[in-house]
Amino acid sequence: MVKIGIEDLYSDIILDYAKNNKYKKEIPASQKAEGKNLSCGDEITIFLKVDNGKIVEASYLGHGCIISQASAAMMCEIIEGKTVEEAEKILNEVIKMSQGKEYDNDLIDGLEVFSDISKFPMRIKCFTLSWHTLEEAINNQD
Amino acid sequence: MLSSNKYEEEFPALKRKINGHRLVYLDNAATTLRPKRVMEAVSEYSLNHHANVHRSTHTLASEATQMYESSRQKLADFINAKKEEIIFTKGTTESINLLAYSLAISNMIQPGEEILITTMEHHSNFVPWQQIGKLFNIKIKYFPVKKGIFEPDDYFNYITSKTKVISITGISNVTGQVIPINLIVEKARKIRNNVIIIVDGAQYIPHFSVDVKSLDIDFLAFSGHKMLGPTGIGVLYGKKEYLEQMSPFLFGGEMIDKVSMEDTTFTILPFKFEAGTPNVDGSVGLAKAVELLQQIGMNNINQHDKMLTKYALEKMKNLDFLEIYGPQDEFQSSIVSFNMKGIHPHDVAHLLNDIAGVAIRSGHHCAQPMMNELGVKATCRVSFYVYNQKDDIDILIYGLKKVWEWLK
Ligand SMILES: Cc1ncc(COP(=O)(O)O)c(C=O)c1O
Repeated sequence: MVKIGIEDLYSDIILDYAKNNKYKKEIPASQKAEGKNLSCGDEITIFLKVDNGKIVEASYLGHGCIISQASAAMMCEIIEGKTVEEAEKILNEVIKMSQGKEYDNDLIDGLEVFSDISKFPMRIKCFTLSWHTLEEAINNQD
Repeated sequence: MLSSNKYEEEFPALKRKINGHRLVYLDNAATTLRPKRVMEAVSEYSLNHHANVHRSTHTLASEATQMYESSRQKLADFINAKKEEIIFTKGTTESINLLAYSLAISNMIQPGEEILITTMEHHSNFVPWQQIGKLFNIKIKYFPVKKGIFEPDDYFNYITSKTKVISITGISNVTGQVIPINLIVEKARKIRNNVIIIVDGAQYIPHFSVDVKSLDIDFLAFSGHKMLGPTGIGVLYGKKEYLEQMSPFLFGGEMIDKVSMEDTTFTILPFKFEAGTPNVDGSVGLAKAVELLQQIGMNNINQHDKMLTKYALEKMKNLDFLEIYGPQDEFQSSIVSFNMKGIHPHDVAHLLNDIAGVAIRSGHHCAQPMMNELGVKATCRVSFYVYNQKDDIDILIYGLKKVWEWLK
């Protein structure tokens, strides 16, 4: 088995996403949800603009570690342009991946940089915060 | 002090390798490493002497009772209290909760009187008072520790003739600032002689020798696991005069005098506050830990902490990518909180661990009001104890530079 090093968790790709502010903004008049990691105080708000069952725009605001910020940015990039249904499928696979279970690689295009997150038990919550919040944002349609 | 190789023998965790690096344990304010002799004492009790205490008359029960009570005596001597003034709890949190509820239900705080706490407190010396205030309609006053630095002169302005209870930590668990408790006692008693003074000693007791009588405080709470003892055991010291007036907070076995259908009378101190089968294992371990601390010498521990804190501050101040919180003077003991500019504390802590084997704490340290005072969401925190050496700090500095190179 290949040893999982810290280099993989803090790879250039992940650092780039964490510093990339493209998706870090508010979308006015959108579906949104707030998420919190109680143990570390990290907070995130996810904004979704949904039109006819399709996520036309996704963004986030908040503060957190590199893992949580990179995860949020990648999530927004992946779900933009997808239908809500597709996004939910991706979400399911991502959660499975974070738990170290079998998942469908084809569905989570790009996110495999986090495929070893389950080997860092203290950081799984950082990675999944934006995804759990996405689920709430999807359910928060009024 | 013991020599450093002795520490390695006494604390097997110091021989652990973390990612191929020697463990550098700098999370002592959260909990300290376990000495062999403490765990051996616990094991000896558990395997050979364990029985329920204060109940039966057989040999094991008698041995267990004696060991439990001699642990209590050891703790009493350690802080110069009477034996019946030592209540065993599971730690500081339980001690303060017990105290807050008991003071409230015993009507020891009259309408119009106030409880004074500060914004630098650990949640366990903050939330219980806040909630007691709500439940019993008691006014809680919060002294703002502006910018995270406690200023005694400003604090004294908050103490008035209405102040019935003062609860304050002996050392900030975020900045390591040592609070001048003796000065506070002196001033507070001048304003109101019978003010009840409570010290959260969770961080203080492991580092300073305390004489509750000469310090003239009324209550003191601390945890075994921050002073080389096991988890799940701690102490509430209370002046006998107060404890006698107070109603118990937990009811059940071992704390009663007479029980009938109509009512129950309660037994004598300290048992009145120790309902249920107590943590005898923990008490034995804690007594052993105290013995070890006394052998090393509290003054030596204190000097050693000072030396390490000074050395760490000097080295860390040279790293311009760090923001350091707290007084950064001789009144800072064994704790340094900081942030790496623009980098989240979790990332710093995780990388330090994996790159250099350095264990530090990251987060809000159960002190969110203090984080607000500092204007941050979270910090990194290093904290020292008896087995740490200067080269631990050198490795920390090396690790911090590496992390900065990687993430900046
Ligand atoms: C100042 C202070 N008070 C109280 C506590 C709570 O101690 P425990 O969790 O052992 O009850 C801590 C521990 O982190 C502390 O640092």
